[in-house]
Amino acid sequence: MLALLRRQLPEVLRALAPLLGIAVLLQLTLVQAPARLFVQLLIGALLAGAGMLLLFAGVEMGILPMGRFIGAALPSKRSLRLIVAVGFAMGLATTLAEPDVLVLAHQVELVSDGRFRAAPLALVIASGVGGFAALALLRVVFGFPLRLLFAVAYALLLGLTFLAPTESIALAYDAGSVTTGVLTTPVLLAITLGLSSVIARRSAIEDGFGLLGFGSVGAMLAVLLLGILA
Amino acid sequence: MSLAAIVEQLGSTAWSVLLAVLPLVVLFLLFQVLFLGLPVREVRRVLSGALLASAGLFLFLLGVGIGFLPFGRAIGAAVGALPAPWMMAGVGFLLGFVTTWGEPAVRILADQVDEASAGSIRASLVLVTVCLGVALWVGVAMLRIALGTPLTYLVVPGYLLVLLLLPLSEKAFVGIAADASGVATGPLANTFLLAVGFGTSAALGQDPLVSGLGLVALIALAPLLSVMGLGMLVRWRQRPKESRT
Repeated sequence: MLALLRRQLPEVLRALAPLLGIAVLLQLTLVQAPARLFVQLLIGALLAGAGMLLLFAGVEMGILPMGRFIGAALPSKRSLRLIVAVGFAMGLATTLAEPDVLVLAHQVELVSDGRFRAAPLALVIASGVGGFAALALLRVVFGFPLRLLFAVAYALLLGLTFLAPTESIALAYDAGSVTTGVLTTPVLLAITLGLSSVIARRSAIEDGFGLLGFGSVGAMLAVLLLGILA
Repeated sequence: MSLAAIVEQLGSTAWSVLLAVLPLVVLFLLFQVLFLGLPVREVRRVLSGALLASAGLFLFLLGVGIGFLPFGRAIGAAVGALPAPWMMAGVGFLLGFVTTWGEPAVRILADQVDEASAGSIRASLVLVTVCLGVALWVGVAMLRIALGTPLTYLVVPGYLLVLLLLPLSEKAFVGIAADASGVATGPLANTFLLAVGFGTSAALGQDPLVSGLGLVALIALAPLLSVMGLGMLVRWRQRPKESRT
């Protein structure tokens, strides 16, 4: 455990040092914020650094294995329904858990003059993510071409952009950020990688990625559609 | 920061971490009971790892909320007072790079790519490519705030370019690019960079909600272009080798 933490320490220092360095440089030259704010920054950086250390250690020790176990068990049941259910449930649950999604749903509610309520909206956005996450897992199983799927998704995104009212466009393109949970990222990656490594003829590097990206597009499309319907 | 504000911050951060880790633990335990049947030692290890990661995420988010968010706003106010838009773009470029460099999920993705490709796509290459892409587009986003350009003028050509790059890029890089677009808008970018954007547009006397919005959209677009661009370069370099064999 201590060895694990010590191994992560250089990575954490490398990750945060440039950010802190630029912040200090800006403080000295451009910003000159009150001393209290600067001390707060230093305390925050210390906390963030300690947190990142524990986070990386915990991800390696528990979170990645969690995803690997699930990803390896998924195809062994030979049940497509299970794979779809896991993809959908993970996309849905992790999106609903993201604090951003409620903020986003509230903004869509405002744009639609209250015709859509925030809570069901959050559910629609999360379903968009879930649906696309399930699609991404099915892609690994059936070997649909990744480039084609993304081409269709992005073309759809662009097409709907021209139909959607202006106020909802910025919201929709911002909605991609709802699928970025730091803890879910390694689990979803490990599930897809596990799934693609168990299924024959799938190369991990070509088929193990794309699920997070699909989830983001799902959220964006869901918000655009809501904007058009509003 | 007042005591009440700190308590409030502690509570909301703990709540969001709990919400993030709970679905994962529930899914894992369901799988353990139904299919996996791992030995108790293994389950204990996975769960303590999850606990450790949650504690880490809690501290990380707390640190970002206490330190980086308010300071980001101060940076934004100072940047908005700069005399020329190109200077704002320059600061945006710098901040975009170092923020993404510190984003935990971007590093996790880069490590996974390294591992899955057995080291043939190095983690540092992915990391630098994503950081450069975000840096460039945060620079553009600051210009957009300064000049008041509508977001669609940037995202529509941006995604058209993505469609153009899709067939040209090496296949493996397409999925990586899409995932990188998801992780680049992580907790640091979503709070710190967003605070800088809001601070800048407030300093310029604009409605921060209107012009600050869209920053995240451009950060999400950035890795799609830079990583697929990298994929195109890789494919280009491999082509002569293929024709020889």
